[in-house]
Amino acid sequence: MTDDQELMTAIQTGDAQAYESAVKKHMKSISHYAFRMLGNTKDTEDITQETFLRLWTHADSWRSEKASVSTWLHRIAHNLCIDYLRKDKSAVTSEYMDELDMDDKPMDMPDNVNKLAALKQALELLPERQRSALVLNHYHGFSNREIAEIMDISVDALESILARARRGLKAQLLAKPSSSTERSLEINRIQD
Amino acid sequence: MKISPERFATIIEAYGSQPGRWPTDERAAASDYLAQSAQAQALVAEYQVLDEWLDHYRIVSLPALEQHVINQAQNISTGNAFDRLMDWLLPHSGRVLAWVWRPTMVACLPLICGIYLADYFSFGIDGTQNSWEEELYLLSLNDYAETLE
Repeated sequence: MTDDQELMTAIQTGDAQAYESAVKKHMKSISHYAFRMLGNTKDTEDITQETFLRLWTHADSWRSEKASVSTWLHRIAHNLCIDYLRKDKSAVTSEYMDELDMDDKPMDMPDNVNKLAALKQALELLPERQRSALVLNHYHGFSNREIAEIMDISVDALESILARARRGLKAQLLAKPSSSTERSLEINRIQD
Repeated sequence: MKISPERFATIIEAYGSQPGRWPTDERAAASDYLAQSAQAQALVAEYQVLDEWLDHYRIVSLPALEQHVINQAQNISTGNAFDRLMDWLLPHSGRVLAWVWRPTMVACLPLICGIYLADYFSFGIDGTQNSWEEELYLLSLNDYAETLE
């Protein structure tokens, strides 16, 4: 029996310790995925809570032969995010500058801050499925088959979605010097 | 296994410049092609810029959320169907509809159960007694006999 199977069997019997272990193991990935999809803390918390609530109440619907626990949880989070974004198109609100982990970046580099704001904006402009595929591929390290399983599509369809997402980002970030970010970068250069 | 230039371009466009993100079964062939082709190297360099942008997107962890998610399980039972039914009837969400509708359902359940039990067990009513139709028939005969007298 694998670790995943042991953990899920324990959760199915109502073992709170096993649930806590699963939360600690997958919390970071699920919350980061939700944040990159939704762009604000409040919605991220709601989706993350709902995802783990389903782990607790629907653990018996997980099938070991179909997906790993991580893939299964990301599929739940993906579906919740897509439903949420489709219900409320105005839901995505940028809080990125508040949420940015500034410990990772030098504080005196406006170029980095501007780049981050532009990237956040460009990601928000992508259609939900393209954004989800890109986030799962670039930030979460899932294989193409795992992402296809999470999104319930074929690998060919996934490649098409990913290619469109990257082309879209490239067009927005690298080929548009007149964007607001590039303009602000130009202003910074002039001020310097 | 060899890879065509078209397939290599598709891989780069879909999965980016990092070989670690390329499909496992094509990674070796794509890496070999990349080492040999200047055109492939130019394409990878083009997408490397985009990957560097994407690498900037880092997020803080939410430590309070983890504890909240762990605690939420203590309030919600799991396991058998009856527990799930009770969770559904008495939800932990704050939705107005849930708080109005589901207590109403709870209040109606004893009534529904009572009707069902009374119908099933027929408390105090002897099954050998006459039915209502037979009673009415006998009463009508009685009235008819009285008129003959």
